[in-house]
Amino acid sequence: MTPAESPNAIEITRLVKTFGDAVALDGIDLAVPQGSVFGFLGPNGAGKTTALRILTGLARPTAGEARILGANVSTAGNVVRSRIGYLPDVPGFYPWMTAMELVEFAGRLFGIEPTTLRQRAESLLQMAGLSEVKSKVGGFSRGMKQRLGIAQALINAPSVLLLDEPTSALDPIGRREVLEMIASLRGRTTVFFSTHILADVERVCDTVAILDRGKVVANAPIAELTRRAAVDRLVIEVEGDPAALIRELERRPWLRSIERDEGRLTLAVSDLKAAQRELPAAIAAADLGLKRFEGAEVSLEDMFVELVRRAEA
Amino acid sequence: MNGFMTFLGKELTEIRKTWRIWVIPGLLVFFAITSPIIAAVTPALLGSISKSQPGVVMKLPPPTWRESYAQYLKSLSQMVLIAVVITGAGAVSGERSSGTAILTLTKPVSRRAFVLAKIVSQGCLLVAATVVGTVICAALSRAIFGPSPLGPLVASVSIWTIDALLMIVVMTFFSSMFAARGASAGAGLGFFFVSLLISIWPVANRYSFVGLASASGKALMQQPTGAAWPVVIAVVAGVLCAWAATRVFEKQEL
Repeated sequence: MTPAESPNAIEITRLVKTFGDAVALDGIDLAVPQGSVFGFLGPNGAGKTTALRILTGLARPTAGEARILGANVSTAGNVVRSRIGYLPDVPGFYPWMTAMELVEFAGRLFGIEPTTLRQRAESLLQMAGLSEVKSKVGGFSRGMKQRLGIAQALINAPSVLLLDEPTSALDPIGRREVLEMIASLRGRTTVFFSTHILADVERVCDTVAILDRGKVVANAPIAELTRRAAVDRLVIEVEGDPAALIRELERRPWLRSIERDEGRLTLAVSDLKAAQRELPAAIAAADLGLKRFEGAEVSLEDMFVELVRRAEA
Repeated sequence: MNGFMTFLGKELTEIRKTWRIWVIPGLLVFFAITSPIIAAVTPALLGSISKSQPGVVMKLPPPTWRESYAQYLKSLSQMVLIAVVITGAGAVSGERSSGTAILTLTKPVSRRAFVLAKIVSQGCLLVAATVVGTVICAALSRAIFGPSPLGPLVASVSIWTIDALLMIVVMTFFSSMFAARGASAGAGLGFFFVSLLISIWPVANRYSFVGLASASGKALMQQPTGAAWPVVIAVVAGVLCAWAATRVFEKQEL
């Protein structure tokens, strides 16, 4: 299969980026299917922004390669840039421009014809909630700049939209609107967005990659990741001091972690059946009364913590 | 060069809409107005000082257009060139530190176009401001000192303009090389003062761009300037420096 026929909009192969002795990206491999909404998840400092800077051609890889729509981003230059939209984590704008001037400037750089550009700019600013704002960008709040950043990133109707922490500066309403906008692009545009906000990924992403200390520790659809993480949660509530019970449970091979909130214990377990079988007996042996025993939903956060913990181990 | 005209348009609009329209043009107009006035009042001023000193008699010839032009040229060669250094220091580094370079360079704009648009826009501003300042200086000199030939002023200011344009290219190179505006300003001031020092050496003065300043002065005195070598070397140095600025910027990570 030639690169042009690839079903993936973004392909990253053994990508390495070092800064002196520091390894920012340690041989990552990624494949982002065309038309998908792809969450690039990781804690701060994991290497997400570095990967995005390489994808946009702002930085060069130390080794390996990154391809967008079949073209190597290190050598393709304007061929790739003309088909992507990019929002950096902290967008910088010319403070003397208005929102309309900025979006039109961005569009002119793509060579968009003036009438089409005006229509698109108006429509995007409407979507960003900035159509009535006539003041200079220099006076905008961080949230307004973030929304303007998304509008300018969409001016060329990009095939691939790269967003670096697009919701980090937004209030809850703005965040919801941006996530809805991202979700609405599904199927038409490949959206690749980095974030450390797990709820955003759960809300809109089909597929997710988890990056930790420069390594991809997982790259799969969310449902598959949950299964792969193989972590189940149980919540039990007991009468009496559970200290002895906790000591006893910590010896069981199926226990991954345990959190205590007074008499309420939340257990992460690797073998649900064994836990369900052994827990009542352990509670009775500790001479505690059982008030509550139920399963808890595995969140992306649980899965994320588990995968990062495994990678560190 | 992808995006050159659009980015140049942005640069020229930015000059018009921000503080940049006031600095170089403001200085040039200020010196264009003050130079003839200073030339006119200097003999009277020195005369009044000598009167207050018993036994000191100072006889100065009446001022002419030549003193007015010389004063203007001195201001251009010192204050305006230093202003070119300071304002040019942030040409590229300022865009990098504010994040606006990323906004532009993730679109179909080559880094070469980005750097060259910076040079061309600053050059346009300098040339336009120099023309305005020179016309004002000539008109005021004529008003104060009577008929004043334009030839010496145009010749000397033209040679100075080549020097200032070279300084713009040099500053764009430093601004592309250093991430911090202060570092490029420091390098530019270093270049300015080292050039002044080197110009003391007659060979360098005759065969390199450092001779532009003295050639400019000679043009004003209506003497043979010997500007051919300095002009040719300045043009070659400017082209090389512009090429180096684009290469340095192309290799940098943002």
